[in-house]
Amino acid sequence: MNLEKVIFGFFIILACSLNFGFFIGDIDRPELHHPIELFFAIVVNLIALVLKFGDRTHIGATHLATSLVACLQLIAAALAWTWVVYVEKTALDAGSTATIVSLAGGALLANLISVILLIGETLRQSR
Amino acid sequence: MGDVLFLVLRRLRAPLITLIAVYSIAVVGLVAVPGETPEGQPWRMGFFHAFYVMSYTATTIGFGEIPYPFTDAQRLWVTFSIYLSVIGWAYAIGSVFALSQDATFRAAASRAVFLRRVAGLREPYCVICGYGRSGRAIAHALDAQGARTVVVDLDPARVAGIAVEDFDASPLVLVADARHPEVLRDAGIARPECRAVLALTADDEANQSVAIGTRVLDPATIVIARVTDPAVKSNLQDFGGVAVIDPFESFAHNVGADLAAPEALQLEEWLTGVPGGERPETVRLPKGPWVLAGYGRFGRAVAEALTAAGQPWRAFDPYLAPSASLPQQVRTCASAEEGLRECEVAGAVGLVAGTDDDTMNLGLVTMARRVNPSIAVVVRQHKAYNRVLIEAARARLTFVQSDLMTHEVLQALTTPLLNRFLELARRDGAALARQALQRLDASFGRQVPFVWTFECDPSQPGIRQALYGTADPLRLADLLIDPRDPSATLNAVPLLLARPGPMPSAGPMRAPGDPEPASPSWRRHLRMTSRQGRAERLLGAAAAAPADEVALPDPQTALRPGDFIMFAGSEGVESLQRRFLLDPSPIEFVRTGAEPPRSWLFRRFARARRSPSGG
Repeated sequence: MNLEKVIFGFFIILACSLNFGFFIGDIDRPELHHPIELFFAIVVNLIALVLKFGDRTHIGATHLATSLVACLQLIAAALAWTWVVYVEKTALDAGSTATIVSLAGGALLANLISVILLIGETLRQSR
Repeated sequence: MGDVLFLVLRRLRAPLITLIAVYSIAVVGLVAVPGETPEGQPWRMGFFHAFYVMSYTATTIGFGEIPYPFTDAQRLWVTFSIYLSVIGWAYAIGSVFALSQDATFRAAASRAVFLRRVAGLREPYCVICGYGRSGRAIAHALDAQGARTVVVDLDPARVAGIAVEDFDASPLVLVADARHPEVLRDAGIARPECRAVLALTADDEANQSVAIGTRVLDPATIVIARVTDPAVKSNLQDFGGVAVIDPFESFAHNVGADLAAPEALQLEEWLTGVPGGERPETVRLPKGPWVLAGYGRFGRAVAEALTAAGQPWRAFDPYLAPSASLPQQVRTCASAEEGLRECEVAGAVGLVAGTDDDTMNLGLVTMARRVNPSIAVVVRQHKAYNRVLIEAARARLTFVQSDLMTHEVLQALTTPLLNRFLELARRDGAALARQALQRLDASFGRQVPFVWTFECDPSQPGIRQALYGTADPLRLADLLIDPRDPSATLNAVPLLLARPGPMPSAGPMRAPGDPEPASPSWRRHLRMTSRQGRAERLLGAAAAAPADEVALPDPQTALRPGDFIMFAGSEGVESLQRRFLLDPSPIEFVRTGAEPPRSWLFRRFARARRSPSGG
């Protein structure tokens, strides 16, 4: 067992599951999407991104690309949230919640691809 | 650049993750710790404010407590966060500095800079592999001619001097092993601007790898390799397309030529001297028995040349073990004194002091002169710093490898046609050389002429008009008429006419409006000559390989498109002759003696006046 592989897999799957946890729930109901979950999704996604730095293989490059997409989408969601709450100083309504959650949904897709790549790599290794 | 970026990202993974962790812990803590509004209402900080506060606190900017004054619990957490984040930043910045000092990183970074600079070269350049004495001399000589160079050498100490040496345009330097093909590719040998690769390392095997690698990666580039090992030499000659220079053999060839065919050597020295300077004196080595001190690669090459010139010789070498394979003229002896005596230096006409040791060579000269004061001496200089010492011997001929290499390489690069001409003169024996000497003597007397190549390039408007515009063929003699005064001739001697392979079916008679036929070989000439500038002319015509060569061509020869003519002439003649290339009128002018009408309207007038009955 390789500790590096454990840490790598852990962060990729955690990034995906946190993202999923934030995304799940009716898209237009703010009370179903908690900011702390979004915050941790961003943090873990950033860590996953940094872990993928420096791998020059093709699959490594694809991994890095998925993480970049996920981070960008999640940070965009956080910025949208900040804009509505702090700049426009309004409570979250159905429309803005839908914007934030759909951005997080995009990130979830990228994270899912990342997990699929991880599984594919693992299956190829075991053969 | 990709290499450097990936290296940085890989090395900075740990510090970056540390920073992310530190920030997230501090932000989450700030959100979780209870605060209150000025009215005393319980209040929790949002993620946005928490991140803002941490951003300015961690970078020690400190804007104070926003949006409301902190509670003591919040202050407790911020104190903890400050120390945590300072440690995180110190670790991250320390890692960046450590990385910038790292040898691997610096090598990758300087390689990236080198690649970018090579990619930015927009002028012709030569790649020099091996920056030893010869490499340095050639780099300086090419720089003086206005050509850029790229230097590849394994030893950083050897190329360190380039930064302080006096160059017009400093060479680009890569410290790497030129035997690796990717190093050659990085040095830019496959780019169209790269005109020649010079393999000048001390190691024959390395030179062979460089030469073969270059031929494979880019067959259009000229390759010149310095090789002394016979096996490697025959390898490269079999491989083809590589100009091999063996400094020992070249020198021995000169010695042999001086004895056997003095006219050819005289011609060679005259034409390869410094243009505009005094014609070099010929050496005139005496004929008779010779003594060779040192029978290594150098001695062997000279011995072969002496045998070929029909001169008897004896040799001795103190470092050689006696063996049956040595020729009977070679003695192995304990001391130089004994060797000179055994080779009967008292009865010899010449001595070749060709050992590896400069002091030893000087000693040999002194000893031989004591026995035989009138002996002619040829000395080999091994180390550059012994120049003064060797000059003190006042030898008839001195062999300095780096000087000889520079001479040979420049000759091969700048006037490749001159080499072919001299080759013809050597093969032909004395007749051609004597004829050429007479013509040169009549034109230039005691001066060294300038040598240049004129190309009959149909893509140049002047040449196109002269070739296709009129019924008269363009003759070689037309190029020798002074464009300023048609009654005078230019002081130049056509030495060689080189004609590329069979011409396309279209003959020289073509209607003026027709586009010139485009064959692949013409395209190449077109590409080479459409560039301007001194360096281009220096390295431009080197790549063409003619199929047919005529030495000392007849002035009445009709020229064809694609012909190269090598002229020797006085200073300034070349630029006068170049007027024929660009502007159609000089050729008309020199042929008819009258300035032709240039514009369409005046051409119509002229035609109407010439044939009044035709309209």
